Amino acid sequence: MKLLSLLTIGALFSLPLQADELMTEVPAKPTAVKSSESSTTLPDRQAALPALEKKADAVYLQPAPLTAIPEGDFGDKVRLGYQLFVNTQQLRDKYVGNELNCVNCHMNSGRQANASPLWAAYFAYPAYRKKNDKVNSFQERIQGCFTYSMNGKAPAANSPELVAISAYSYWLGMSGLMDQYKVAGPVPELSDVELVKGGKRDDFPMPAAIAKHLDIAALSQLPGRGYPKTSQPELAYSPERGQVVYQTHCQVCHGEDGQGQVIAGVTALPPLWGAQSYNWGAGMHRVNTAADFIYENMPLGKSVQLTVQQAWDVAAYLNSFDRPQDPRFNGDVSKTQATYHKHQGYYGQSVAGKPVLGTASYPVFPLKNNIK
Amino acid sequence: MKTSLYKFAALAGITMLTVMTAEAAETTPPQLPVPAAAQLCTSCHGAQGQGIDIIGPRLAGLSADYISNQLALFHAGKRQNPTMLAMAATVQGENIAVVAQYFSQQPVADIQLQFRGDKVGISDPFETLAFQGDWSRTIPACVSCHGPSAVGGGQFPRLAGQQASYLKTQLLAWQEGSRTGDADNMMGNIALKLTAAEIDGLSQFFANIK
Repeated sequence: MKLLSLLTIGALFSLPLQADELMTEVPAKPTAVKSSESSTTLPDRQAALPALEKKADAVYLQPAPLTAIPEGDFGDKVRLGYQLFVNTQQLRDKYVGNELNCVNCHMNSGRQANASPLWAAYFAYPAYRKKNDKVNSFQERIQGCFTYSMNGKAPAANSPELVAISAYSYWLGMSGLMDQYKVAGPVPELSDVELVKGGKRDDFPMPAAIAKHLDIAALSQLPGRGYPKTSQPELAYSPERGQVVYQTHCQVCHGEDGQGQVIAGVTALPPLWGAQSYNWGAGMHRVNTAADFIYENMPLGKSVQLTVQQAWDVAAYLNSFDRPQDPRFNGDVSKTQATYHKHQGYYGQSVAGKPVLGTASYPVFPLKNNIK
Repeated sequence: MKTSLYKFAALAGITMLTVMTAEAAETTPPQLPVPAAAQLCTSCHGAQGQGIDIIGPRLAGLSADYISNQLALFHAGKRQNPTMLAMAATVQGENIAVVAQYFSQQPVADIQLQFRGDKVGISDPFETLAFQGDWSRTIPACVSCHGPSAVGGGQFPRLAGQQASYLKTQLLAWQEGSRTGDADNMMGNIALKLTAAEIDGLSQFFANIK
């Protein structure tokens, strides 16, 4: 009961803050900034850009098929980006500290609308990001993925890996736009320096035939970007109910212990909590983000669609276990919670009588062989 | 198996390649005597569960969990095959685990594993489906559940090197609904989206991974 009321309070007060990590320079609607904290630490004109609503009549970009990636240096970067995206474990111990691959959360190797597609993300950066309170380029956003979602160490700016993932993202987006607006010819090549910045900027070389249809603001909110916002559950989300959902719909792939399915030494199906999953700084640890993802994309192939309530409950369940520590942890869980966790998540809380989450978290960026 | 491999890798601190070798070593002979409970099975599936084409699919390379579960599904009528219906009925109680263990421990030939991303632009449409899926129809890559080169694990059967005729029969059975029993009808749902040509092509593709 105590937990329930705590959650309700959390839901009421944290909503305006955590709708999305993305922030925009678009002037805020008067109602958008409610928290006193956000108005003191952030300029007034910056408001959370909510996860986009899914529209029934949305037309999504159709990136060119992988077979169309051109020969040559530029094409090689695009190909490497794809390869890193679907087999991120090749960077294990170098930049990756868990068993995940990018494709686990970005379905269809970053090409699927409503599964945080790369082609939409590319045109949403540079952007202000609440997580580190500054304007982030696209490569800085990808660095964040390595730090948090991959529980690893970010590749250095302009490293071949970041150039490759940027090149792949750009190529997907630009090939899709060129297809949509009938621009002939190959995707224009960009230099590495240009690639890693992202496409949301005045000096981005956008073909005029596309720019006349879509301004920068429209490009940064392409239909299908992110995970579509799931409506609020009827009942406050509950890990207890979520456990039942998990056992019925998720366990066969992700395992009773949430550790996924290892086949031939590879975690084919990803671990959802514990030492081998995303850490407490990753967006997916927020119940709302996980609910958005799950509702739209799980079970794999969307063979069954959970109810909204089930999606929220199971999102709460899998985020009620400990996982690798928040890399911003400053030695004090309650302080880290107060600074970085004012949203729908369980960091710094005790769920079902278990120890406070964050007090016995797993290490950040452990070497593979050191994980017990 | 999963847990032991995990711990093995973590404790011994060895590379993925070594783990795979270790896995292969685990499944290679000493030749086990065929347990009495599995004697009848061998007449159609072969003494080492290697399969006899058209008569009985290969069981070697499938996990014990998977085999036990299939026996249970035959018992429950969720898988239908006139011969297997009668044969499965002869394996009950503790013998289910005995039979499942025996066949799961039989060796299969080592193959060169293909991981996602090893190839980028793939010209063969069935290899594309296997490694990349077709998300315009919400079909995930087969290997996202069946593992690298579809060698299988846990409740996900090995497809690599299985008989093409068997794979085709099963995909058709999933389509018709005469095979059920997986969680949330995930496989049935995917099979329904496949064309006849894709069922043929995928069956051949996986059978040829040897």
